[in-house]
Amino acid sequence: MTLDWSSVWDNRDRLLAGARMTVMLTAATMALALPGGLALALLRLSPYRAVRGAATGVVEFFRATPLILQIYWVFYVMPAAFDVRLSEFGTALLGLTLNVSSFNSETFRAGILSIRTGQWNAGLALGMTKFQVLRKIVLPQAVTRVLPALASTWVSLFKDTSLVSIIAVADLSYVALKIRSETYRILEVLTAMAALYCIMGYPQAKLADWVHRKLKVTE
Amino acid sequence: MSGDNGRARVGGAAAPILAFDGVVKRYGAIEALSGITFQVNRGEVVCLIGPSGSGKSTLLRCANALETIEGGRVVFDGIDLQDKESDVRKLRQRMGMVFQNFELFPHLTVLRNVAIGPLTVLGMARAAGESRAAELLRKVGLADKAAQHPAALSGGQQQRVAIARALAMQPDVMLFDEPTSALDPETVGEVLSVMKALADEGMTMVVVTHEMDFAKRVADWVVVFDRGLVIEQGPPRQIFEQPTVPRTREFLSHLGWHGEGLTGTGPLVDRSARIREAPDS
Repeated sequence: MTLDWSSVWDNRDRLLAGARMTVMLTAATMALALPGGLALALLRLSPYRAVRGAATGVVEFFRATPLILQIYWVFYVMPAAFDVRLSEFGTALLGLTLNVSSFNSETFRAGILSIRTGQWNAGLALGMTKFQVLRKIVLPQAVTRVLPALASTWVSLFKDTSLVSIIAVADLSYVALKIRSETYRILEVLTAMAALYCIMGYPQAKLADWVHRKLKVTE
Repeated sequence: MSGDNGRARVGGAAAPILAFDGVVKRYGAIEALSGITFQVNRGEVVCLIGPSGSGKSTLLRCANALETIEGGRVVFDGIDLQDKESDVRKLRQRMGMVFQNFELFPHLTVLRNVAIGPLTVLGMARAAGESRAAELLRKVGLADKAAQHPAALSGGQQQRVAIARALAMQPDVMLFDEPTSALDPETVGEVLSVMKALADEGMTMVVVTHEMDFAKRVADWVVVFDRGLVIEQGPPRQIFEQPTVPRTREFLSHLGWHGEGLTGTGPLVDRSARIREAPDS
């Protein structure tokens, strides 16, 4: 068997552009899914049952269905049912954001609930509003506690962005699979694709491990 | 019941700063407070004593509406806390609270812990808030710990920071919920000394405590709780020397208290008169 790496080298610009898209999609999704997840978490902790119920429904739906289905759903159903048309990138971003927000909301919720009632009482006893206690006392501690979990989600998300290739978003997976079908150099192209994901993903995973170690809860 | 003996008490000439009138608190089917009535006058140190689970700490949390109540009234400076019109948050700003487990904010330095009330609630400028905080840390003897985080401090030091944090709001009343129950024996004294100094300055204080020596020497008025009721109240001389209710005598003798005189000059912390037990909540 002869290997012909020119199929990879000649397309290096396209592959790098795909890698850039993957990173951008990951960063943009997380940038939206952090506030999104926090908002969902707060809604789930609302004193109003209807609000709580609605937020729980959203979260459970996105946690219980496959991401690939959610992306398809946003891509096909939204334009047909609601006449909402987004670019491929917009569609991918929306699908990923909804999914990751749901997971982040559970992470934030666990973090908030892990802060004992006494901390709330101490803030309230000073005369703070509930919102002030949340912002100044509970969230800073909760977020520190859940950063490792958020870092793990980030690493998963980085890889899961490959699913958006099914709706023709030119991320690393889409570009690589396209080059494969153009050149028929399956082994070379898939190896290059694996190498690129690995080169980008490994430092992120290491960073996540470091966050894990760094933020072991101390009180 | 508070009407007659009220006049003989410290600050009895003026209206009470804090009054409990038939306070009832239930947790489901369990009645934690079955109609608590007593008052706290301005400048008075009132100690709440009694067995664990008798409702002392619960009542203290009702005083600043951290607990809702099912019956009766809590009136602070003439304002009914249960009244829908009352701004509970404003009232809480005038009541400092010290918790059994300190409840310092672990993510903030000691200085920021003390300054957070003035900065967040009173909207003070950073410099002014922090200089007030530094002043109070000096007062509780912890100026050198300002830049540390609470985890680096001993229990006694943490509790003194918590007292400074409450004082930073310049409250009218200080509420202490078993402030020394979670402490190592050797750090109890430093916290009690700070409290004694506060009392000597004329601060109005309500103290839930198992430190009978403190209650005997510092309190102006002692309220004895048992099973959600006040079974006896009076000046420390009465409670510790001639309790009128058998249950009071029983409770005190359980603690190894046998009516020592009031003239003791020993250290404020008398091991024999102190019991360590689980939080009553």
